[in-house]
Amino acid sequence: MKKRLIPAMTVCTLAVLSACAPNMVAKKDAFPLMYQEKPISILVLPPINETTAADAKEYYSTTLAQPLSYMGYYVFPIEVVTDMMKHEGAYDTETLINVPPQKFKEYFGADAVLFVKITKWDTAYYVIGGHVTVGLDCLLKSTTTGAELWKYDGVLQVSTGGGVGGGGLIGLAVQIAVTAIKTATADYIPVAQQANAMVISTIPTGRYHPKHGQDQEVQIMRKQQK
Amino acid sequence: MKRLGLLAVVGCALLSACATARPVPYNWGGYSSSLYSFKKDPTDEKLQAHKQVLIQIIQGSAEKSLKVPPGVCAEYGYILIREGNTAEGMKYLDLEAQTFPESKAFVERVKTQASQPTAEKEKTP
Repeated sequence: MKKRLIPAMTVCTLAVLSACAPNMVAKKDAFPLMYQEKPISILVLPPINETTAADAKEYYSTTLAQPLSYMGYYVFPIEVVTDMMKHEGAYDTETLINVPPQKFKEYFGADAVLFVKITKWDTAYYVIGGHVTVGLDCLLKSTTTGAELWKYDGVLQVSTGGGVGGGGLIGLAVQIAVTAIKTATADYIPVAQQANAMVISTIPTGRYHPKHGQDQEVQIMRKQQK
Repeated sequence: MKRLGLLAVVGCALLSACATARPVPYNWGGYSSSLYSFKKDPTDEKLQAHKQVLIQIIQGSAEKSLKVPPGVCAEYGYILIREGNTAEGMKYLDLEAQTFPESKAFVERVKTQASQPTAEKEKTP
């Protein structure tokens, strides 16, 4: 029985991969301006919450610096930035979205500014386990030209009970974390981390990444353009 | 059709799982969790716990000859300054600027703001 399962799984995986194939695009074609401008530092603004989950924003802002740093970027400390902007009277990203991006270069010396929108945060609970559906919209703007450098969004369903939807190494890590942390709210951090991993892996690598400037041909899932 | 969408999502997750192995070997320790706890329950106890995580990241990285992750020294220094420990806080801000030269303008901005007498109390309750 087990022996049969393995080929079946392989076929399944292949089907999954080939399902993506027609929708793939090279990073250089998807985000040409990233390779022209080569931003080094990213200022992450507090996420904009479009969901009814009031706390989603709080969870999120704590998980964004890590994946961006792994992609090779200098990320300004989000908490400090938020606090400093409050001193200037800017409490919400909603009020900053119309500020010319150049201001962030002037004020913080940032090369690019990242707007994150949480579009979905739906939880469902079953008798054994449950899942969270997370939707994430990212937009990176140049603080030199104001142009959109990188833009990506994704929706991911992560199970918070037994199994993990994402699979792979991260799935395993999430599963361990989920098992380790018993409180229902704390489950959100691994959920946020997994959604970040999916979206942020599409950004061209930054200066501190060993493959910086060599990932032009890396294929990512094409997003539907409006 | 829906199935196909789901497969695509799973496939994407699989692919991105491969792509997000950590090529820059930062040690972020328990950063997200302790910061999350503090934001959820902003007490001094939770702040001290987060500070502890920050200093562990800074010292732990040095022990393993790793670069301290971006923003961590600045965040630690900022909290120290907010607590009134300005001299020590400034040291960590300088360390941030040394580790990441692109943070210089930001660090200067933090320093200027920190040395300005603001309406806000130095210690947050």
